[in-house]
Amino acid sequence: MTGRRRLGLVAATATLLAAAPLSVIFDSWVWLMQCILAVGLVAGAAVLTRTLRIPGWGQALAMVLTLLLVLTWMFPSGDEILGLIPGPDTFEHFGQLFGQAGEDTRNYGVPVPDRDALQFITVLGVGGCAIAVDLLTVGMRKPALAGLPMLAIYSVPVAIFVDSVPAVPFIVGAIGFLWLLVADNVDRVRRFGRRFTGDGRDVDVWEPSPLAAAGRRLAAVGVAAAVLLPLVVPGLTTGLLSRLTQVGTGGAGSGFGGGGNGRVNLFSSLSGSLTQSETKDMIQVTTNEEDPFYLRLAVADVVNAQGFANRTPTGQQVTRGLPDPRQTRRPGVQFAEYKASVKILDLTMAFAPIYSTPVATDELGAAWNFDPNTQVVFSTRTTTRDKEYSFDYVRANYRPEALRESQPVTDDTLRALTTVPKDAVVEQLVAGLIKGKETDYDKVMAIYNHFSRDNGFTYNLQTTSGTSGSEIAAFLQNKAGYCQQYAAAMAWMVRQAGIPARVAFGFTRGGDRDGNTWTITNRNAHAWTEVYFDGFGWVPFDATPVSGVVGSTRSAWAPDVDAPDPVESSSTTPTAPNATSSGGATDLERPDRNFDDPALAGGGGTGSSGGSTTALWIVGIAALLIALLLVPALRRSLTRRRRHAATVKELQPVTPLAATGATDITVTTETTQARADAHAAWDELIDTMIDYRVPIDPTETPRVTAQRLVREAELESQPAESATLLGRAEERARYARRPLQGGELTEALTHVRKGLSRSATRRTRLVATLMPPSVMLRWRLATGDASAVAMGFFSRIRESLVRFSPRRLLASRAR
Amino acid sequence: MTTPTWDEPGGPMQLDEFRVATEAIMANIEHVIEGKHATVRLALAVMLAEGHLLIEDVPGVGKTKLAKALARSIDCSVRRIQFTPDLLPSDVTGVSVYNQEQRDFEFKPGAVFANLVVGDEINRASPKTQSALLECMEERQVTVDGTTYELQPPFMVIATQNPIEMEGTYPLPEAQRDRFTARIAMGYPDPRAELAMLGGHGAVDPLNALRAVADAAMVRRLIATVRAVHAADAVQQYAIALVTATREAPEIRLGASPRSTLQLVRTAKAVAALEGRDYVLPDDLQALAVPVLAHRIIPTTDAQLNRRTTDAIVAEIVHRLPLPHDRARSPYDTRQAGDNRGNTYDTRGR
Repeated sequence: MTGRRRLGLVAATATLLAAAPLSVIFDSWVWLMQCILAVGLVAGAAVLTRTLRIPGWGQALAMVLTLLLVLTWMFPSGDEILGLIPGPDTFEHFGQLFGQAGEDTRNYGVPVPDRDALQFITVLGVGGCAIAVDLLTVGMRKPALAGLPMLAIYSVPVAIFVDSVPAVPFIVGAIGFLWLLVADNVDRVRRFGRRFTGDGRDVDVWEPSPLAAAGRRLAAVGVAAAVLLPLVVPGLTTGLLSRLTQVGTGGAGSGFGGGGNGRVNLFSSLSGSLTQSETKDMIQVTTNEEDPFYLRLAVADVVNAQGFANRTPTGQQVTRGLPDPRQTRRPGVQFAEYKASVKILDLTMAFAPIYSTPVATDELGAAWNFDPNTQVVFSTRTTTRDKEYSFDYVRANYRPEALRESQPVTDDTLRALTTVPKDAVVEQLVAGLIKGKETDYDKVMAIYNHFSRDNGFTYNLQTTSGTSGSEIAAFLQNKAGYCQQYAAAMAWMVRQAGIPARVAFGFTRGGDRDGNTWTITNRNAHAWTEVYFDGFGWVPFDATPVSGVVGSTRSAWAPDVDAPDPVESSSTTPTAPNATSSGGATDLERPDRNFDDPALAGGGGTGSSGGSTTALWIVGIAALLIALLLVPALRRSLTRRRRHAATVKELQPVTPLAATGATDITVTTETTQARADAHAAWDELIDTMIDYRVPIDPTETPRVTAQRLVREAELESQPAESATLLGRAEERARYARRPLQGGELTEALTHVRKGLSRSATRRTRLVATLMPPSVMLRWRLATGDASAVAMGFFSRIRESLVRFSPRRLLASRAR
Repeated sequence: MTTPTWDEPGGPMQLDEFRVATEAIMANIEHVIEGKHATVRLALAVMLAEGHLLIEDVPGVGKTKLAKALARSIDCSVRRIQFTPDLLPSDVTGVSVYNQEQRDFEFKPGAVFANLVVGDEINRASPKTQSALLECMEERQVTVDGTTYELQPPFMVIATQNPIEMEGTYPLPEAQRDRFTARIAMGYPDPRAELAMLGGHGAVDPLNALRAVADAAMVRRLIATVRAVHAADAVQQYAIALVTATREAPEIRLGASPRSTLQLVRTAKAVAALEGRDYVLPDDLQALAVPVLAHRIIPTTDAQLNRRTTDAIVAEIVHRLPLPHDRARSPYDTRQAGDNRGNTYDTRGR
């Protein structure tokens, strides 16, 4: 029984290890404590019932009951008997938790805070898994099947993280599963009997055996392959989401410069951006709004050590309706509804550019979701490529006086958006700026106004691209940067002031306007700051100098700090399309580059010709495949041509057989040639036979082979004679003093081939033409030879290395 | 006319001439032995290969008749020895008898002093008598009382033996068996040939009507022709490979001797010449492997217990030994893998 008990404990531990991937979902480790407790108690129940020799169903029941008690104790409704025995209210409470969990999964992005409902679900799931794993492993002795419930746990983060889950939790989970398998097999071996060496010494179960070593190696290779392969295969980890999630804003430096493949790398490397000189049309927007604000794409609202990062958006399908901001109407906010339609010319992203705040979408389809928190439209299944859609949106216009009314936020979720890593320089600066300011709006404006030309802030592309604390501080010191630094720095400082802020990404409205239609190029990519005001929601602020950005605009609540008249500045840029397109060195031209990193522009480039290039690619790949398929046939026909060239020759009279008395072999150029011809013809005949699936027997003489060929392939008159002729020619070439001369071997070969193809089935014929087995066989043999040589080489190396192994000394001493 | 020697039996002849002569001999023999073309040809081939023939079969299938027909067809000295248990070596080799008139010992040649020696029921003689043939068969000479007497070419021993009857017989020792180039079995005639035999033999023995169609000189020339037949390197390699395979086969305790290699190639040359070729084919070797090699080898006890005849073992070796090539080529082998990897012979040639 001790073996089974041990196995049960291993099963419980393995389940916990397999739950490791859940760590990427939760913010804290409370869930793990709860899971350890629950799984431990479940395992304890299993051990107890097994010790009491209760049958399998009883064990299962005991474990389920234990889990129920644990859940009741951990998530009480308050009406339990002794706080432990669940009553009807408890189950009602559980039902509520279920519902709450569904809501929470929609409302919270990863990593989620400690929510009762989510923890309840987690403990329930992991506990259920522990029961299943225990029953499968200890009860049914099928530990391999236990991988399925473990996989179920693993599938949760996989489903949440669209593109990939960090490798380390996966390795931990895999190790758990492998440990379970090993423990089971060790137990099996132990029950089977004891291992002992030839001299009768007992062998410990963990002592290495070749088989176990092979198993361990296989396991290690499997896990390594599972981790490494996705890194190698493109497309699995190159997703924008995973990049931004894992690497964050600051890290997204030069590393992602070129690999974007059509996806905009929001935080781009500046050095790369300067190399971009082309302008590409990316989006066409038609709106009935006279003076539209920026087109929003994505949001970064997480700050970590590297700077700003976005998190995986969560939300419902856009087809299920969007929340309307007008429901929370407040004085001082004007809402106006507009309609816009977007035509994507050259943009491949998982986010759909929209004007905020959309209230209804059209033609986007169920693949697109709306994240109510970040107000972005995103998709986990498709991209914006060649998409055309329209949407209704509500433009909010805030009066500064109204914004001043706003109270500091109290909501926990929003408070979380005010946290920034400590940085003394920024802290000091912000403290100075907001000193004496009463309202949130005034504080924000104080920070906003700080980024003015008077304070020495200029637009400059020649800066580092990071947004981490030190880099923000450096920017505030240098006062030169582009939209990324301005947006990030302002968001950082506003957060420092205790007000939720985030960085929004998208496009300015563009410089090329044709009536109601705005054409947006890659140079209009932009970033700005959004600040949360209680009761108003997220209000955009653009701190980047207007002069630096084409299509830049300002709002009433955040006027241009550098211009005496905000109206002027906001209208300058849109009404100066000529400047954008003409001057290469004008002040307006430079900012274009700020987002034109290679990923954006280059990626856009590949995506743009997307339609035609993809077709070309497909055609090219198909052509390549066909060419590859034709290689064997080509090889075969080349070989045949070479041999035919050898056998075709001028007719020579057949020399009489009279060679009596001559003991030497006649060697002249003609006979040598004739011999070579016969051999070539014979080789070709053998290859032809292989092609047509006539077996070859190396013990047969040419004569017998020819006879058998005639017999088996049912050759008639002409081909039969030809086969016999070929056999005779080869026979004489090999064994006679004088080879057969003047035979029409090429013609004979053609006849035989025809005869064979006549009697063969269609499939054989096809294979003989397209995939000649003779060529394949030759290649296979060559491969086999090469691998044998390689094996020999490596085993020699290994042998020479083994001499240095210390184990050898130990082994010899043991002997 | 010069005295024929073993090294130079006579001038070779053209292949056409050769064919006419040999076909005449075979046709002559087939007057007596009907429906046994292959056997007759093999017997003739053994003679032309300067070998000795062992005919082994059940009684009454015409062993002695074949031997006598072959002897009668050639106009040369023929002696017949009926091997009996009380036969003495001196009866075979000859004996020195004291001549009273000359007061000296005079050598009386034994039965072996002939071109063709027919030894009937050879296994009925005691080993002592059988071994009297050892010297003459291999060295073509007889040594009696310290004096060596050369035998004249052609010299051929045709022995018959009965494999069924064990009582009162002495199986041939290995050394003796090895001296026979080929062992052939007569086999039962087909019904048609048997019917013809009934019709013919009922009235008169065809053996009596048989006339010689060749003489010793002609046989010597035939032998010279056979010697000139070309055996390519590849063929010789194949012969060696075959013989080597018998030595290495797990079922065989004693393989074939180097002498057998020589005789195999010689016989193959004779067969090739009989077929009108001036070169030996591996086909010839394959066809001759059983008659030439099977009687020399000794199977292991296991193989004997499994009722594996030496014929079957040799046939199997022939069947699985790849043909050597005198040039490198891809070793296509579409048969099931496994069995022909074991031999050490380089199947790809040199």
